[in-house]
Amino acid sequence: MIRIMRSEWLKLRTTAVPWVLTGIALIINALLILAIFLTRPDTNGRGGGGTFVSPGYTVPHTTQQLRNLVGSGFQGYLFALLLGTLLVTSEFRHKTVTTSFLVTPVRATLVAGKLLTSAILGAALAVIMLVATVIGGGLTLSARGGSFSDLVHQIPAVAPGMILVFALFAILGVGVGSVLTNQVAAIIVVLGWFIILEGILTSLVHSAFKWVPTGAAVAAANLTRDRGADFGLFNWWQGALLMLGYGLFFAALGSFILTRRDIT
Amino acid sequence: MPSAIEVHGLSKRFGPVHAVDDLSFEVAEGRVTGFLGPNGSGKTTTLRVLLGLVSITKGTATFSGKRYVDLDHPVRHVGAVLEATSFHPSRRAEDHLKTVAIGAGIPLERVDETLDLVGLSEVARQRVGKFSLGMRQRLQLATALLGDPQILILDEPSNGLDPQGIQWLRTFIRHQASIGHAVLVSSHLLSEMEETVDDVVIVSHGKLVLQTTLAELASRAGTSTGMRIRTPEMARLITLLNAIPVAYRQTAPDMMTIDGATPEWFGPFAAQNQIVLYELVHDRGSLEDVFLSLTHGFDATDPGLMGGNHAGPGSMPGGSS
Repeated sequence: MIRIMRSEWLKLRTTAVPWVLTGIALIINALLILAIFLTRPDTNGRGGGGTFVSPGYTVPHTTQQLRNLVGSGFQGYLFALLLGTLLVTSEFRHKTVTTSFLVTPVRATLVAGKLLTSAILGAALAVIMLVATVIGGGLTLSARGGSFSDLVHQIPAVAPGMILVFALFAILGVGVGSVLTNQVAAIIVVLGWFIILEGILTSLVHSAFKWVPTGAAVAAANLTRDRGADFGLFNWWQGALLMLGYGLFFAALGSFILTRRDIT
Repeated sequence: MPSAIEVHGLSKRFGPVHAVDDLSFEVAEGRVTGFLGPNGSGKTTTLRVLLGLVSITKGTATFSGKRYVDLDHPVRHVGAVLEATSFHPSRRAEDHLKTVAIGAGIPLERVDETLDLVGLSEVARQRVGKFSLGMRQRLQLATALLGDPQILILDEPSNGLDPQGIQWLRTFIRHQASIGHAVLVSSHLLSEMEETVDDVVIVSHGKLVLQTTLAELASRAGTSTGMRIRTPEMARLITLLNAIPVAYRQTAPDMMTIDGATPEWFGPFAAQNQIVLYELVHDRGSLEDVFLSLTHGFDATDPGLMGGNHAGPGSMPGGSS
């Protein structure tokens, strides 16, 4: 299994995929950090989501504002998801899957290798984004007269949940990619669900939010606070289990389909 | 002891299409077996079934008695060059080989060795997207050789190779057999394989037409079909031929064909009668003619015609030559 994982990592890092995804995720994260500083605080004293009335700077200082800053890369889980998806679909797109199956003829083993690899890479992406956020956000914060060390103190409250969620989303990505091996179709379905369909569904049926992947992810991300119940969500480990369940369900379905599929 | 490759009663259906139909053959160690048939005759499907890439409808396909999926170290046991396999265009040649080597637990030194072996050392750091068809084919071969396998499966390996490349491939394949490895190489052209193979497995419409040795096939091809003659003394020659029981056709004012004639008979005949000859050609069936007549003449609706006679284990090559 270690061999398969090392091989998968080499396959991935010798293409542009991980670097492009990480790059885009970091750029978006930087814009979000900028937005936090440019947004006036709302009456609850929370950063973000406030109305932009006139140019001015906010200096996050409350615990919640600082946590929002540390976790500003949270939405990057979509990139962890894409990473996992591409780990499977690019093999079909470039017809390298034949070679992969010749090396690892038991197909479920290859899928398992990809699941583990993607979980590690998803976690790594979360770490990279956290480090970048703390450095970039922290420097901006200090320059604006805020406290760098206050920000650093909030890392333990945010990081474990974010790392967990990124890893779980990467697993889900491998699962979805194994079911939908067509790269374009997989990307459209993944982005379509998380950007459009899930929002429509949960706005129609509010109680569904705790059950959809994003709701489960938000719950899982509260690992250190376990405040899921406050928002009508599961608690963190229930959310994490639900996420893992989604990932493993698709991975199992994908393995089942792949094992029966003729590679011609 | 099981043969290096054994295919027994193999059938593969894609929906209504019988791609492979009750196919049986064996590949012996230390020999090169040509897997021959026209395009669409089920060669590629058979090879992919052997390698576990395509599922089996009926029958078995094994290496030394084991299915590919059950081999302990598949890449170190069997090397394969398949059509419709590709590379990630932005991956460098040596990185492609490293992914396979790492995945199969093969020492990374083999990467440079195999690149050297197939003559790609100089482009090892180039991205595969820039490779020509011939270079890709060489890289495929390098991939197959990484594990130094005892069995090689090559699907139309000379596609895209230049004449030097094809010559190199021939030498390479012969060398593999000489060190005891089994090689199964498919082609739709027998002429391409004549200098390379020991045995032939000929398929058509997914069925076995014939498994035999190349020598046996060649003996069928050697049959004389007649002589072509150009002479300024046509009228006298016709008079002479009319006196003996022989069939001839005049094809031009100064040319004729004599059916069934051999040079051993016609040479002395012409000398005795002092006939001036400008041209004397011995017509003989080529190996390719035999191959074409076997694969085209074979009627899929009449399985007893040839497949049944030659498919049995009694006609397996190896012992017979």
